[in-house]
Amino acid sequence: MMKFALFLGCNIPVRVQQYELSARAVLDNLGVEVVDNSEFKCCGYPIRNTDHKTFVLMAARNLALAEQQGLDMMVLCMCCFGSLKKAADLMKHNPDLQEEVNAILAREDLKYTGTVAIKHFLSVLYHDIGINAIKEKVAKPFKGLKIATHYGCHALRPSDVTEFDNPVAPVLFDALVSVTGAQSIDWPLKLECCGAPILGVNDRLSLDLTEKKLADGRAAGADYLCVSCPYCQMQFDRAQQMMKSPNSCLSSIVFSQLLGLAFGIQDNALGMNMNMFDINSIKSFLE
Amino acid sequence: MFYNVVLYVALAVFGIGLLYKISGWFRLSIGIDAQNMTMPTRIRAVVKGMLAVIFSRKLLTLIRVFFMDVLLQIQILKKDKLRWFMHMLIYAGFMFLLFTHALDKIITTSLFDKYYLKLNPFLLFAGFMVLSGIAIAIYRRFILKVPRLKTNAMDLYVIIMLAIIILSGFALELTKLASYNQYQTIWYVHVLTCLLGLAYLPFSKMFHMFTTPASLLANAVMDKNSCPANIMTRQLMELDSCTHCGTCSLHCSVAVAFDSLGNENILPSERMVFLKDYIIRKDISARGLAAIQQGIYLCTNCDRCTVECPAGINLRDLWFNVREEVIQRGHAVSLMLTPFSYYRGLNLSEVDPEQYDHPLNKAQKALTGHFELPDKTEAVIPLTPANREFKESAGLSLSASTYAFCFTCENCSTVCPVAGNYENPQEHLDLLPHQIIRSLGFGLKDLAMGSRMLWYCLTCYQCQEHCPQGIKVTDIFYELKNLAVKEASLSSE
Repeated sequence: MMKFALFLGCNIPVRVQQYELSARAVLDNLGVEVVDNSEFKCCGYPIRNTDHKTFVLMAARNLALAEQQGLDMMVLCMCCFGSLKKAADLMKHNPDLQEEVNAILAREDLKYTGTVAIKHFLSVLYHDIGINAIKEKVAKPFKGLKIATHYGCHALRPSDVTEFDNPVAPVLFDALVSVTGAQSIDWPLKLECCGAPILGVNDRLSLDLTEKKLADGRAAGADYLCVSCPYCQMQFDRAQQMMKSPNSCLSSIVFSQLLGLAFGIQDNALGMNMNMFDINSIKSFLE
Repeated sequence: MFYNVVLYVALAVFGIGLLYKISGWFRLSIGIDAQNMTMPTRIRAVVKGMLAVIFSRKLLTLIRVFFMDVLLQIQILKKDKLRWFMHMLIYAGFMFLLFTHALDKIITTSLFDKYYLKLNPFLLFAGFMVLSGIAIAIYRRFILKVPRLKTNAMDLYVIIMLAIIILSGFALELTKLASYNQYQTIWYVHVLTCLLGLAYLPFSKMFHMFTTPASLLANAVMDKNSCPANIMTRQLMELDSCTHCGTCSLHCSVAVAFDSLGNENILPSERMVFLKDYIIRKDISARGLAAIQQGIYLCTNCDRCTVECPAGINLRDLWFNVREEVIQRGHAVSLMLTPFSYYRGLNLSEVDPEQYDHPLNKAQKALTGHFELPDKTEAVIPLTPANREFKESAGLSLSASTYAFCFTCENCSTVCPVAGNYENPQEHLDLLPHQIIRSLGFGLKDLAMGSRMLWYCLTCYQCQEHCPQGIKVTDIFYELKNLAVKEASLSSE
């Protein structure tokens, strides 16, 4: 039985709970065991702009905790994932940095050695569980549902560090969406940023970028956006509601919710009513 | 006679202290909300709010919370059994001693004849309970190495005071039959410590025996839509409910940052200590202000402190409120130009629109304002490296030195979604990504570090992924931002 240390990050447990609920439900269905660690804390992502060393320290502490558990890490948030991967890569190429960080971690009897594998939720589904195994669990496939998959920058790039998928022509997320019976459509801005990283810094720019993506998705004929990162979800869900003229309204569903529906999991266990936009009409596409 | 005088003085100080502290909840102000409410308005609001709760179904909630959370402290039991045990030993033991022994003339003698003989074993047992509780407290604070748990003078005061009271009580029992002189000396120690503790109680963290229940009850029936005056009053009371137990810091998502930055204000428990002082004396030093600004902004708003606080303090709303107040003041807060601002952006509607942009602009100006070149379009740039020292060291890492491979194909700027968002990008961003990389090549520090492009970078890594020369564009931007923050903080000191 597959077993991972589950890394939720800061946003999911308080602002995107539907992701946690549905991911747990889906993983349980697939027979993957996840172990919680209440000591997991911020991945360091938000402080990277201003303090490199603190960023690496914060990431390394989580990695060291997973090593202590003797488990590989499954990360739900793409920004956390990118951040943890980057920190691991930095330390791999800079032993001095690793030593410096370990000197601080030693105060808590922790040590990062670099043995832990860091995987994003989607990678676990695609590589570790596999499309065929997932297909077997699909009880109620979607029919005629057009999904615009939003890959998410921090999992996809820098590809030499994140090792997530082909950065220019990725297939992983599309394949996973297709398993549910939905059609993953082509849309020009598929691989672009959701705008979240600078919300609160330059709101105008952030929301402009979000609106562009939404308009692009709609123009391509998408019924729903599909994401697998809490920041992207907050941006397409909460921030979209903040927009003055939502003329390009396009609701977003978290991938684990989509997959859960296709598995025939109950609404409550998928947090279907926790999205800001009402996404229940997606069920009309179920066979 | 002496005893009576000291007793009444202690009681008087206690009473005045109580009034003084409680009046503070209505006198002082905190944060941006309800700044202009007068004291009578706020007192009226509290009375009105309390009456509304008492004559509603919420009364049942209050009764439940009173039994479960105030008396039995189920929340603490669920989270940490040792701490619950410690607190129960002290709290139950001390309450028993207070009512049956300290207040014996009022309570016990009216119930039992010759109570002392009958109750003596129970009193001794209660004493042992408190003593064991104190022993656990000492073990927790000094022997068990809880990371980042701070012990301050107030924590020490409470432990020492309680220990003296109980130990001197035992000593009295032992010397009662042996030596009258010793007995008398110890009696003074015992009684004076008790009365000192009583007189000082409203000013010490022992005040929490009144305020923590009040906080737990208030938070059980209040929410975001409660009257703003009552929210402010509650937030001021919550500062008095904090026992500095350190639970918030233990669970804080970013507490680890304290280990490398050394700013105690990053730890929520220490921020509470700061705030207790800050509400009384708002004119803090520039250094103190910068520290609290960093501490309170370095927060992912993960809510763990609020969920875990055994005193039921709504820390989330307190931080948001105070954060807005301190970032409007004095120094620029460089952390504002990071994803730490996401929560503020989401909660835009809670901030006065006139105040929303001000601290952001200030931060941006502090980080890009002292680099002059981007603003001087007419300045002639020398072709030879202007600043060889910067070009050669610059504090850049090995992978950042890849900038030297740039042949100005402009791929980075072409794929950049930020640059692509504007008709005339330079007007909004100063420089485009490839220009920043070229500026590094020329050793033009001002240009490389001074453009708004750096701070509006999404870190989406399109540029880096698409560079045919393998230049680590986004990573270089990160490093330049780090350097700019370092320079800005040096120049502000």
